[in-house]
Amino acid sequence: MPKRLPMLTTCLLAVLALVIAPAAVVAQLGDTEEEQQRIRELGLGAKQGLDSEGNAIRVSAEEDSGPPLTERERATHVLNRMAFGARPGQVERVLEMGVENWMRDQLDPESIDNVYVDTHLAEHMPSLNMGMGEIFRTYRPEYTPYKGKTPTKAERELRQQEQRERNQLRRDVQAELRAAVYHRAIYSGRQFEEVIIAFWRDHFSVDQNSNDVAYFANHWEENVLREHAFGDFEDLLMATARHPAMLFFLDNAVSQKPLTERELALIEKYENRDNVPRSVRALQRQRGLNENYARELMELHTLGVDREYKQRDVTELARVFTGWTARWRPRNMQDNARNDRRRGNSNADQQDDYGFYFNAGVHDTGNKVVLGSRLRGGGEEQGISVIRALAKHKYTADFISRKLCRYLLRDEPSEALVAEIAKVFKRTKGDLPEVYEAIVFSEDFLYRQNHRVKFKTPFEYVVSAVRATGAEATSYGQIDQALSLMGQKTYGCPDPTGWYDTAEAWLDPGVLVYRWTFAMDLAGNRLKGIRVPEALLANLPAEELKKKLANQVLPAGLSERTSTIIDEELGRNPSAQEMLSILLGSPDFQQQ
Amino acid sequence: MSPTRRQFLAGSSAFMGAAALGLNTRALAQALREQGHPPTLVTIYLRGGADPLNAIVPAGDPEYYNVRPTIAIPAKSDDANNPAVIPLTNLFGLHPSLDPLHKLYEGKRLGAIMCTGSTHPTRSHFDAQDFMERAAPGVKSVTEGWLNRYLTATSSNHDRPLRAVSLQPTLPRSLRGQYPVLAVPTGNADRAMNAFERLYSCDDNAEAFRRNAGGDKPAEQDNAPADDGPRLSGGPAVKPVDKPEDDLNEKLVEKGEESIEKLRHLRGIVRGQGNAKYPNSHLARQLADTAKVIKAGEGLVVAALDYGGWDHHAYQGGSTGTMANMLGTLAQAMRAFHDDLGSHMDKTLVLVMSEFGRTVRENGNNGSDHGHGGFMLAMGGMVKGGNVYGKWTGLERRRLYQNRDLPVHVDFRVVFAEALHALFGFETDKTDFFPEYKANDQPVRYLTPMAAG
Repeated sequence: MPKRLPMLTTCLLAVLALVIAPAAVVAQLGDTEEEQQRIRELGLGAKQGLDSEGNAIRVSAEEDSGPPLTERERATHVLNRMAFGARPGQVERVLEMGVENWMRDQLDPESIDNVYVDTHLAEHMPSLNMGMGEIFRTYRPEYTPYKGKTPTKAERELRQQEQRERNQLRRDVQAELRAAVYHRAIYSGRQFEEVIIAFWRDHFSVDQNSNDVAYFANHWEENVLREHAFGDFEDLLMATARHPAMLFFLDNAVSQKPLTERELALIEKYENRDNVPRSVRALQRQRGLNENYARELMELHTLGVDREYKQRDVTELARVFTGWTARWRPRNMQDNARNDRRRGNSNADQQDDYGFYFNAGVHDTGNKVVLGSRLRGGGEEQGISVIRALAKHKYTADFISRKLCRYLLRDEPSEALVAEIAKVFKRTKGDLPEVYEAIVFSEDFLYRQNHRVKFKTPFEYVVSAVRATGAEATSYGQIDQALSLMGQKTYGCPDPTGWYDTAEAWLDPGVLVYRWTFAMDLAGNRLKGIRVPEALLANLPAEELKKKLANQVLPAGLSERTSTIIDEELGRNPSAQEMLSILLGSPDFQQQ
Repeated sequence: MSPTRRQFLAGSSAFMGAAALGLNTRALAQALREQGHPPTLVTIYLRGGADPLNAIVPAGDPEYYNVRPTIAIPAKSDDANNPAVIPLTNLFGLHPSLDPLHKLYEGKRLGAIMCTGSTHPTRSHFDAQDFMERAAPGVKSVTEGWLNRYLTATSSNHDRPLRAVSLQPTLPRSLRGQYPVLAVPTGNADRAMNAFERLYSCDDNAEAFRRNAGGDKPAEQDNAPADDGPRLSGGPAVKPVDKPEDDLNEKLVEKGEESIEKLRHLRGIVRGQGNAKYPNSHLARQLADTAKVIKAGEGLVVAALDYGGWDHHAYQGGSTGTMANMLGTLAQAMRAFHDDLGSHMDKTLVLVMSEFGRTVRENGNNGSDHGHGGFMLAMGGMVKGGNVYGKWTGLERRRLYQNRDLPVHVDFRVVFAEALHALFGFETDKTDFFPEYKANDQPVRYLTPMAAG
């Protein structure tokens, strides 16, 4: 093996090399046959994670603060972290099949049958399978054009009517996506897939309330997040970068090469004049550079805030991405195919689709320097190579690993574990299932210090409460409303940071009151469209009731404090409804 | 209502401790100032980018009628009897729907600021609101709201429970941050609070219970699966210390108790007072409750409210229509609040703002698009009212920002800084309150500072 270069240098070289000669980069990353041979000789590479008997070597970073989790606690723990909590009887089923076997299945979502959820989605949520062109045609129909130059009163009234209809359709397509998210989170058998997709939904956050993202987000969920969450990070990152939802949410779609001194002078010259030449009019319309995406790509999607990059890098990277936009194009056209058809922004041809488009006319072809690497000229490839380099950057490995450990273990994961997971990320070049596996099969994952120490986010709380009761949901408006009150609208985080998953972000005074109210409404069957089964609400003698419901809602047991306080209440002979709501609203059920 | 015993003890011991050591006297002085009826800042955020030119109308600028052929507010009542602009100065007039505020303007308790806004060019609602509510244009690393930062910077151990509130379900971004601020649940919260009071109370029994539980608990490793074996060396005498999960459990109980206390307190205040006359709107109800907290002398320092829906890209209307109705709702609610507060209004400042203005020229849909410079309203006893502040450079195309929008002549940070200074004596420049900002802008001087003390 050649003398190892520090990863950072390797990456910078990678950017550089990609520009000069793409083949050279591959060598840096150890992908040639020769490299691989050497790696095999040294016993490294793909087999590195296995011991002599072919069993996975478990990453281990710290000591268990003990006492070790009981089997039942282990089953509950994996259901809390690799699923959105246990459904009725699920802890018993996991114990029966073995905690580890259940985890293995979950790591391979395709191995789990999911017909019920898939059928429901196909029948009730058609927008999820639509292309973006079709979404526009279905949910944003064209206005009837005015006949004359100034609209008549009737035309104006028709326009207002059409606008109301369009607004309603826009709300429909947005609500359908959120309903799909809830439905899968509650009922999918592939729970870990949902847990992981929820992670990426916030990591690559887009807000469906932001302009046209309303029409892109459904496609994004299906074709970006679901398609790549169990693939390579690089592919996931690339798909986000080229999707209209991200291009518009972070304004890259309108980012254009900045005007030169000469062009500015031209605009100045024609200011307040009539007969402005066409070329100058085009310049006047040119909006200039928008740094929004370039910054968030480094800050939020890959390197982490203020690591390695400076403001200059942001501006330079924004120049790299000028011209990355989206528009109407012939159906089934590949993202990178040449598209010369000009269609403007109309729904136009029934066959047309909507998607990524590289607009060479507004792309900045000048040389750039990004993270110390010189990039010659311009072109679409330049952006692609930078994204690849960022996906492989050591800080990206660290940043993604840290966030995943925080999400799956605890708010402040140990540095040692983060470092171990980052190694796996780097070794596998961001093979995400390998990274997930390394985390959940680390020794640390089932340590006492990670058990029930995470505060559920509003989303996790609401979904896990519905799951715990085994309720049947036929509509999700009330869940939407509850999450909105709790401040965590699905697909509605206005910040590109996405919703945070730490206690610090959610544990404000007031927030618990909403959860108690939700618990009472759920247990009392007062949420429209959500039915808790009658059997669960059958009244029993107080002791039995407590035992039965606690076993279902908090299968790892109650804290002694909660248990004692509930015992004090038993003399009043609480109804099943009261008992259920107290359990769902208890501090214990806020923990996972 | 008296604070609970526990809070009182915690507060007073911290007070005495700090006093004895002579520490943090500034925070103490701050806390003392906030006893009784401190000055209160109330912000109303018009979300969506409210149109300045159809609120504070430059009817004296003939260009106004050229650029807005269908949505201009007529200078004189026209044939169709559309209400006309209410003149304020030679240049400006109020939108007729703002009539309830006219008297306050004349009484010098209301002023407007034109061409104010962000130094950042963004026309994205999301960025512009963020930058403004965090008072940090272009600085995305700042995630706490400016009002929250103020509360943190001036907090002490004996802050009153209702030092800041937002009487709506979620906190506006200006109030988000590390300082805990109550956003009030809607609906019947009493039911939930009564049901969960016991489970979320850090009472003495629970304390005692926790102490006992620590000692009496049987060694938990009895429950551990045998095959795992003991992890810790030293044999069976492993005494289970607190489980890590208990820390979070305890914290949850504390937060729950805090929620109940604050909310009950608030609801007590709100219920305990008669209802003043307010119009029937959501905004008015929020302001009515805010007024009750102020009048009760609960030490309310900051309240923030949202009024959404100002993104009038199409059919915004002129002296009647969509925007006119919303301006009416705003003005009526503000006027009711003003009249309800009476002398308390001397120490209350209401600041009305929006993320940006709109295009000077109306668009093809009888509306206006996202612009740049906007307007603010300031109402209160310390406002040097009867004035339209801000530099006016006209509506000629070449005078506009990027040839299309009102320019920003008054950085919103200047307005905020003067508010914090006039109300609370807080000096933003000395505390580096605004990140990456050098305060060398022209002052607006729209407020008379409250007497120190």
